[in-house]
Amino acid sequence: MKRVFKNPLSETIPSEDGRNIDPDLDVKVSWDVPLPYRLFEPPPYARSVWTEPLPATEQESPTYYELPMLKEPVWKWYIPAYFYVGGLSGACAVLGASADLLGGPGMVRLSRQCRLIAATGAAASAVLLIADLGRPARFLNMLRVFRPSSPMNIGTWILSTFGACAGLAALPAVLAVPTPLRRLADGAGIGAGVIGLPLTGYTGVLLANTAVPLWQGARRSLPILFSSSGAATAASVLEILGDSDEGAAVTFRFGLIAKATELAMTLLLEREVSVVPRVARPLRSGFSGALWRAAQAAGAASLILSVVGRKRTWTRRAAGVLGAAAALGLRFALFHAGKRSARDPRASFEQQRAGYGASEVVDSKLARTWAEALEEGR
Amino acid sequence: MGQKGFFTDTTLCIGCKACEVACKQWNQLPDDGFQWTAMSYDNTSHLGASTWRHVAFVERSEALPGQGSPRSASPPLAAFGELFPLGQPGPRSLLASNIAPSSVESPTSEAAIEGANSQFSWLMMSDVCKHCARAGCLEACPTGAIIRTEFSSVYIQPDICNGCGYCISACPFGVVDRREDDGRAWKCTLCYDRLKDDMVPACAKSCPTASIQFGEVDELRARAADRVEQLHARGVKDAYLYGADEASQPGTEGLHAFFLLCDKPEVYNLPPDPVVPTKKIADSWWAMASGIAGLGIVAIGAVLSARSTR
Repeated sequence: MKRVFKNPLSETIPSEDGRNIDPDLDVKVSWDVPLPYRLFEPPPYARSVWTEPLPATEQESPTYYELPMLKEPVWKWYIPAYFYVGGLSGACAVLGASADLLGGPGMVRLSRQCRLIAATGAAASAVLLIADLGRPARFLNMLRVFRPSSPMNIGTWILSTFGACAGLAALPAVLAVPTPLRRLADGAGIGAGVIGLPLTGYTGVLLANTAVPLWQGARRSLPILFSSSGAATAASVLEILGDSDEGAAVTFRFGLIAKATELAMTLLLEREVSVVPRVARPLRSGFSGALWRAAQAAGAASLILSVVGRKRTWTRRAAGVLGAAAALGLRFALFHAGKRSARDPRASFEQQRAGYGASEVVDSKLARTWAEALEEGR
Repeated sequence: MGQKGFFTDTTLCIGCKACEVACKQWNQLPDDGFQWTAMSYDNTSHLGASTWRHVAFVERSEALPGQGSPRSASPPLAAFGELFPLGQPGPRSLLASNIAPSSVESPTSEAAIEGANSQFSWLMMSDVCKHCARAGCLEACPTGAIIRTEFSSVYIQPDICNGCGYCISACPFGVVDRREDDGRAWKCTLCYDRLKDDMVPACAKSCPTASIQFGEVDELRARAADRVEQLHARGVKDAYLYGADEASQPGTEGLHAFFLLCDKPEVYNLPPDPVVPTKKIADSWWAMASGIAGLGIVAIGAVLSARSTR
């Protein structure tokens, strides 16, 4: 691959000797031009920290030239999109399996819808996850080990098993299949329902198992938020699709509790991370903060509308659209807020100085040693 | 094989960046582009996928105890006290001891220099992957690409890594990064290839002041403790070890590449109380278990209640 260098006169010059410097740069740029400032472009991970001026009070604690201490997560939009789709299909499989096992004949349509959404969602999830890899061709390496310490590895096993079950369960919905295969598909549907449970929640654990201050600080509420948000998404999508009386009643009841829990969990999450105000800042300001608030508002509106407008088709659909948008907004807000908190060195420093680093979990003797060291300003 | 690691004594670092160059050269790492940060002498600014040693340049507006010129007459400089025991007239030049003081007198007043010395100091630190005894990247890696070698170092196998990026977020020090054009995660290997041939890692080999010391971790710990004592005796009371053992850094259970620092960790862009994320994750799994149990109950409840109303 030929490396190119973008020079301050904004010409692209291919290098001839393998170095990415322009040998004629000194001729083109005279000393009248403030050279270093022209040349420097803050790297993307540093950009926001360098452009957001800090309040004077926060400039007192030391940092290294305001540079980030952590590396910003390299994941792209595929990952929050996967969290959304994965949560949706997992919760649909759970609801579908419950309807299969315990529901009456009036719930056949609900079960069919759930199985189709679960299978489509599982396929889409795999595509999103593979697309985000640096080396997509090596995606199968995820399954070369079983590693309980890595939520991502556990999640890959969960998603793979879920995909197989959900795909098999959806077969009778799209093809005419012989009875033995139909029975197998019904069994697979129950299996998908069981594995769909952790599929909705492990993504919260995955985010919590990072050094990103916001995600680590939210580790108790994230999995429950993601689970309930997955359920709320499932209910919202089913509300949009519509169903007969009995199916609609299931969706309504399921959605009511899911949406209320989702909303409550967003508030609990904020409370959990607010023990260190600096860590909670990305949820309170900027784009991620606005998205977070908008998602909360949409969630609340969806909850109210689904109760008030239960009888009319268009209000039910509107509630569904709002609920689905709210859950999507929450995922993206948390994703971007996490990236911002990783770029902010003070978020980590203040979290750890406030006692929410290792001293939160290590045994008391060691914590005391560390507390003494902290006292001395070490 | 034993546990191999680095002891980086920042009081000896002169910021020559020989370690950065030697690392790049030996490991054949691509360049990072020629960018000026316009904030300090540090134009590398961070560890990354192609930068496995990074020399931090901290400019402080306060002096280090013992800092000064060996030509200063007063007060006695603790760091040079050993060279010139009390009561003996010390040489005024390090070149030779028989030069009369007057012939090497500074043309400017020494008081001005001492005044400037007392308001300024450099702290330089050659940063590197810490090869934590409990490594966040290793525990997070979903493919098993990150392993602990026979030298107890943490190594990313490039033929296995599929670039999922999880180790990057799991590292509490921000060491690992993904190379854009390559798609895989990279970091210091502790020169795994050189260790295999009983050679010293390139950075330690090239360090001209022995600021980077390589060896058995236990041996390095003893040496580092001695060095701290020596510095304290010479008046550098701020000197301390960062991450030398589990007691001082329980979150990582000790670093195999630890540091001697003279200021708060934050000054060097190091976390004050780092923790391997997996140490905290049990809470999260329990929360998930309760959450999904609730989800299952709600799903079943919704179906049953809707059915019974018919």
